[in-house]
Amino acid sequence: MGAEVITISTDTKFVHLAWQREEKMLKDVKYPMGSDTTGKVSRMFGVYDEETGLALRGTFIISPEGKLLNSEVNYYNMGRNIDELMRKFKANLHLSKHTKEGCPSKWKEEGDKTLTPSARMVGKVYEALK
Amino acid sequence: MSENCCGLRVGQTVPDFTMDTYEPTKGDFGEIKLDAMKKAGKWTILFFYPADFTFV
Repeated sequence: MGAEVITISTDTKFVHLAWQREEKMLKDVKYPMGSDTTGKVSRMFGVYDEETGLALRGTFIISPEGKLLNSEVNYYNMGRNIDELMRKFKANLHLSKHTKEGCPSKWKEEGDKTLTPSARMVGKVYEALK
Repeated sequence: MSENCCGLRVGQTVPDFTMDTYEPTKGDFGEIKLDAMKKAGKWTILFFYPADFTFV
């Protein structure tokens, strides 16, 4: 879909190799597994936990122009929903091609109703979404 | 490269960075550069997590 997914933890690349080979749930992994042992990149995104030396569960979507468009950070024991990640990515993709539109909260995929903000729509979003 | 101590904010431009990787499709180590991804016109999704061999 034109996106490069990279997983990142502070483990070394050797541990990534061992884990991917060992854990059956990871056997179909095709994406690069990033190793941020010094925490430099984790700190850049504000997910480095100085107390533990580990990264929090953060997901960041960066446009091809290098702009950070989305950020979601959860504490250790809560996983992120991949359907939501896909929704956000598809919305970003749509909006990059339709720069005058907005994706409302119920937007899930290409073809769903979007909004095109204008002076005429002020106070009439209900009608616009029907 | 300007380093932001408290984390990038949504809307900011991400500084280019390089990171060591393990690439399962090649079975070998590699490197990713944000710069290369931008040049290839790709969206980049970074998925941070605490540690290998753990759960959730």
